[in-house]
Amino acid sequence: MTPGAWKFLASVRLAIALLIIIIILAIIGTLIPQEQEADFYRQHLPRSSALILFLNLDHLYRSPLFLSLVFLFLLNLLFCALQQLPARFRRLRIQEEPITGTGSEVPEPRDRSRLERWLGDDLPRLETIFRKRRYRVRLVTTEQKKVFLARKGLLGLFGPELVHLGLIVIIAGGLISAIFSQRISIALVEGQTEKIPGQNFLLRLDRFTTEYYPDGSVRDWKSLVSVLENGQVRLRKTIEVNHPLKYGRLSFFQMSYGQDWDQTSLELEIGWPEGGLQTIRIKTGESINLENGARLKALSFIPDFQVDSRGQAYSRSPEAINPAALVEMVEGDRQVFLGWVFFGHPDHNRYQRQTLPGLKINLKSFSAPTFSVLEASSDPGANLVWVGSGLLLLGLLASFYLPYREVRLGQRAGTHPVLLTYARKNREGFRQEVSNLLGLAGKKELKDKTDE
Amino acid sequence: MNEFSFLLLAFITYLLAMLAGFTSFFRAGSSWRRVSYYLGLGGLMLHSVSLITRTVHSGQAPFTTMYESVSFLAWSCVLAVIIFERKFRLEKTGPYLWLVVVALMALASSPALPKAVSPLVPALQSYWLWLHVSVTLLGEAFLAVAFVASLLYLLTPEKKLSQPGQEARREKLDQLAYRAVAVGFPLFTLGALVFGMIWASKAWGRYWGWDPKEVWSLITWLFYALYLHTRLVHGWKGKKSALIAVLGFLAALFTFFGVNYFLSGLHSYA
Ligand code: HEM
Repeated sequence: MTPGAWKFLASVRLAIALLIIIIILAIIGTLIPQEQEADFYRQHLPRSSALILFLNLDHLYRSPLFLSLVFLFLLNLLFCALQQLPARFRRLRIQEEPITGTGSEVPEPRDRSRLERWLGDDLPRLETIFRKRRYRVRLVTTEQKKVFLARKGLLGLFGPELVHLGLIVIIAGGLISAIFSQRISIALVEGQTEKIPGQNFLLRLDRFTTEYYPDGSVRDWKSLVSVLENGQVRLRKTIEVNHPLKYGRLSFFQMSYGQDWDQTSLELEIGWPEGGLQTIRIKTGESINLENGARLKALSFIPDFQVDSRGQAYSRSPEAINPAALVEMVEGDRQVFLGWVFFGHPDHNRYQRQTLPGLKINLKSFSAPTFSVLEASSDPGANLVWVGSGLLLLGLLASFYLPYREVRLGQRAGTHPVLLTYARKNREGFRQEVSNLLGLAGKKELKDKTDE
Repeated sequence: MNEFSFLLLAFITYLLAMLAGFTSFFRAGSSWRRVSYYLGLGGLMLHSVSLITRTVHSGQAPFTTMYESVSFLAWSCVLAVIIFERKFRLEKTGPYLWLVVVALMALASSPALPKAVSPLVPALQSYWLWLHVSVTLLGEAFLAVAFVASLLYLLTPEKKLSQPGQEARREKLDQLAYRAVAVGFPLFTLGALVFGMIWASKAWGRYWGWDPKEVWSLITWLFYALYLHTRLVHGWKGKKSALIAVLGFLAALFTFFGVNYFLSGLHSYA
């Protein structure tokens, strides 16, 4: 890799450019509805649909364009870390030798000045000053050299690197989740047992309950489930929203519920033309023999009855808002009655075939088994995301609240003493502070230069 | 006295704090700034009583409806203002921050936001609601401080800069904004992103789903990452970073108000 390419990949300018582009794309992704069928865009955004589909803006966050930007950002973070870390570690490692000379071995940046006289004649005092301010102090004095080193906030030195490392780990976790996470939806009616695909255990729904607030809105859904392995119950637990069940590598979530309308039990009241009522119970799809020798069949049940433009009946929603059943009566092989009967509105009943004048059929009640929809998910990337988040937060704390401070004072026999100071931020302010501490303020010190 | 009387009293006290603050502009060396500070502190107490009453009365976190959230955000802003006034002295930024607080209080007490307690849908019944929302809004309160300081930075007329002390005053605004971001950004990261991801993984089985509210908090967060890094590059520090701090807070506001009204998604009940 050429030095130019390395510099580019590690540069803050690239980070700024990428952040701006990613922000713009992310905004676009919230303005254009995501993950719809192509026809949706042609219908609702006719003028821009071609562009949207061409640029993959319909699934922007997993489009090659977006993913390559994230990947470039990941590279940027990695190269940035590779560029910064060696100097940071060198700064930690170098303790005494270099500063007795010119100080040039201490990694840049550094603020360096040559002093007229050695300040360490009163070393214990110097030590106390810095120890009081929570510095770690190190002192070496021999015939040849004198070295004073005080520093604090070591974690703060690595604050940004911890943040960036945390981000790298989070993005890695996100990629692993995107590739390897699995979600399966499982619908169970009470008493039903289902094998979980790819696992060696079964799940049984023992009981499903819905709890309501006094005003009628839903308070909670609860699924009491048993985990069965080799025919034995291993675990029983209630799964609720916000309280998933963890078993093996899977977690089971309460996602939704519904009613199995194909299994509806109907209570029908038949009013015979010659007078007299007969009440029967029947399940959809079943047929039953009646008093007069005819057979009654419940063909289907629709919870929210509507008729479409072609006259076809369908259900507008899965809720029992306008329930209706299609009922047929046959004598021998002759159909004598066919019609929709509505719950609560017998006057709306639509008889499509009625050969027995006076025959009335009403839907008195209905009930369908409730099923609970659970979602089983396994996400091998999640733990990395949690670790990365921890590093990120620790790094933020260190970056902003544990400022790194470093003071080096050294002299080799026969030369001028040298003072080196360094802080990650506000270096000039820190230099001033140290000058005050050392009693140099206002004195003529020979400040060589500040390397930038 | 109920929750709303205390809210109204707090509102009035904040209004007085703002007026006292602006008065101090015209009377150099006056004690109006101190008056403003203590009025703010008093308002905070009254406001706290209102929030606590609400919490006890409803039995749930005081940020489940828009009214509650706006009131809590205003409360957090007052806390941020008080803390910053004590630690760094807000100087001329203070009264403009009170203006933001007063605006939020006006919104909270306006009839546009229904005051009724609404029962929590199942997904919201979690102690993560407390952690996620309170830490996020607290973070946003500090970002509001950065917003106002940056706005004042941008609004300083170029002509004025040649006057003595003006350059230093603007430098202080820049410092103030950075210090506020240094508090707000970690809080926002913790509350909005990390707690948000943990809660989403508990409630929905996935920590991230590119839901519009999630994306907009990410956008907000990226703006502040951008802010921090523009300060490292010569030529971006100052005006451009101030502009980004302003845009970042507007993104936070859109995440808070706009997403629910303009975009649809899983978060639309909140
Ligand atoms: C969303 C992504 C990022 C976040 C949240 C982030 C966060 C941070 C934070 C909190 C700091 C410390 C700031 C301060 O002390 O004022 C920082 C410093 C820094 N970041 Fe990032 N960063 C991100 C991406 C990047 C990238 C991609 C680069 C690549 C060049 C980068 C380069 C740097 C550098 C050079 C510093 C300064 C280090 C120093 O002060 O010695 N950052 N970053």
